[in-house]
Amino acid sequence: MFRKFYLLYGLLTLSTAAFGQYRGWSLDAVNQLKNVPKSVRDNPGSYRSVYSGYHHYTGGK
Amino acid sequence: MSSGVPPLSGPPKPQAKGLNCPKCGAAIVLRSFGQAQTVVCASCHCILDAKDPNLAILQQFEAITRDVKPLIPLGTRGKLRGTDYEVIGFQRRHCKIEGITYYWHEYILFNPYKGIRYLSEYNGHWNDISICKTLPNVDRAFLDSPGASAGYLGESYKHFQTADANTDFVLGEFPWQVRVGEHAVVTDFVHPPRILSSEKMANEVTWSIGEYMYGPEIWECFKLPGTPPEPMGVFADQPSPVTTNVTGMWVTFAAFAVLLLALMAAFDTRAKKEPVLQQTYQYNRADAKSEASFVSDEFALGGGTSTVQVKTYAPVDNHWIYLNYALINLDTGQAWDFGRELSYYHGYDSDGSWSEGKQTDSVVIPSVPAGHYYLRVEPETDPSLPRIAYTVDVIRDVPVFGIYGIAFVALFLPALVISWRAYTFERSRWSESDHPPMQLSSSSGDDD
Repeated sequence: MFRKFYLLYGLLTLSTAAFGQYRGWSLDAVNQLKNVPKSVRDNPGSYRSVYSGYHHYTGGK
Repeated sequence: MSSGVPPLSGPPKPQAKGLNCPKCGAAIVLRSFGQAQTVVCASCHCILDAKDPNLAILQQFEAITRDVKPLIPLGTRGKLRGTDYEVIGFQRRHCKIEGITYYWHEYILFNPYKGIRYLSEYNGHWNDISICKTLPNVDRAFLDSPGASAGYLGESYKHFQTADANTDFVLGEFPWQVRVGEHAVVTDFVHPPRILSSEKMANEVTWSIGEYMYGPEIWECFKLPGTPPEPMGVFADQPSPVTTNVTGMWVTFAAFAVLLLALMAAFDTRAKKEPVLQQTYQYNRADAKSEASFVSDEFALGGGTSTVQVKTYAPVDNHWIYLNYALINLDTGQAWDFGRELSYYHGYDSDGSWSEGKQTDSVVIPSVPAGHYYLRVEPETDPSLPRIAYTVDVIRDVPVFGIYGIAFVALFLPALVISWRAYTFERSRWSESDHPPMQLSSSSGDDD
């Protein structure tokens, strides 16, 4: 019984992996925005990045 | 009319005679007709000769405890595997292993047409036992070795335990000359859910075959009130809750892993990995004071929806650079916004040399449709870094190997969990045997 389930589960996993690869899925976190004004091309400073103000690591041991 | 005086002529009428214990006078009930060899008085626990019309006393024993009560009362009738049986006898036996005394109970069941069978109970684990019809095949020379086995009706049974069993309490009728203090060498072989046992007493060896039963099944068979005792631990022939063929599942897993590799190779070959932008930019703190952000040249992403990889290289050395990126579609205004930090630090301390961070970075943007794009870049750097050159590469249609990693883990985990459950169950089973897993591993280590 479980083996049948595992067989189905495995096929589903492989199909999902293949579909994800085909559709161009990624594991990286990227924020999506819509309707960015065309003026940004000429005036890049008018665009406010979601990630601006990020606290930077100034590290070292 | 009837004076109670027998007629003078003709054969004498058979008369019923009450059976009473010759010691205490309590009434004795014989349920198994001529099958019983001995019967135990329920009142004074005298073992009586059931074949003797006067019920000669064979043995007297002082019941050590009155708390020994059968879970299935004598005289209870029930249907076991489609046949009606009556409980006619009960005995408690024990064995002593490494100073610990283990007790179990045995019930004698009787059917006038089918004969005798037994039920055993140990810590809530039940076995339906009957005498073997044929002699099992066993090599006694290797009985104590971990690999010892016995064959019966085409099945191979692994040696589990050999112990001295002693009877310490009896009640009811027995088809043999039972005695308290009776001693037997019991050898068990298992092939769950069955157990093959030999009982050696003086010059006699009896083989029996048992099949594991769950308490509720017994309660259902005999319509007993209440609930059966909860089973404790794992019994020798208890069926594993993992019914899956673990080896078969690993074979399936291996097949899936091969398919996954094939899938990975196929998509890697198919991926275009097409560079669409490669540019080196210079960050100069003095120039960037007014406005650091800028946009790249326009570039086209052809084909269908695909991944887009943005790779950055910056030769930072004990510094960091942070880049706010936005990949913007010129036609639709859709944007993918992300920030990436590159930092590389190294040095030397009392532990030796150390380093952390990298001078390269890569990010894969998912499902980007075809179209015309540009990249908006807004760099920030360590205040102590006056200027730095960095390279940005944009590549279209790259494979994401992490997806295969996740798929691999997703395939591996169920196989691992099932195997672990099966392993821990078997480990519990065999830890109670003459061949506990620890001993097996240590002995194999000694061999090395």
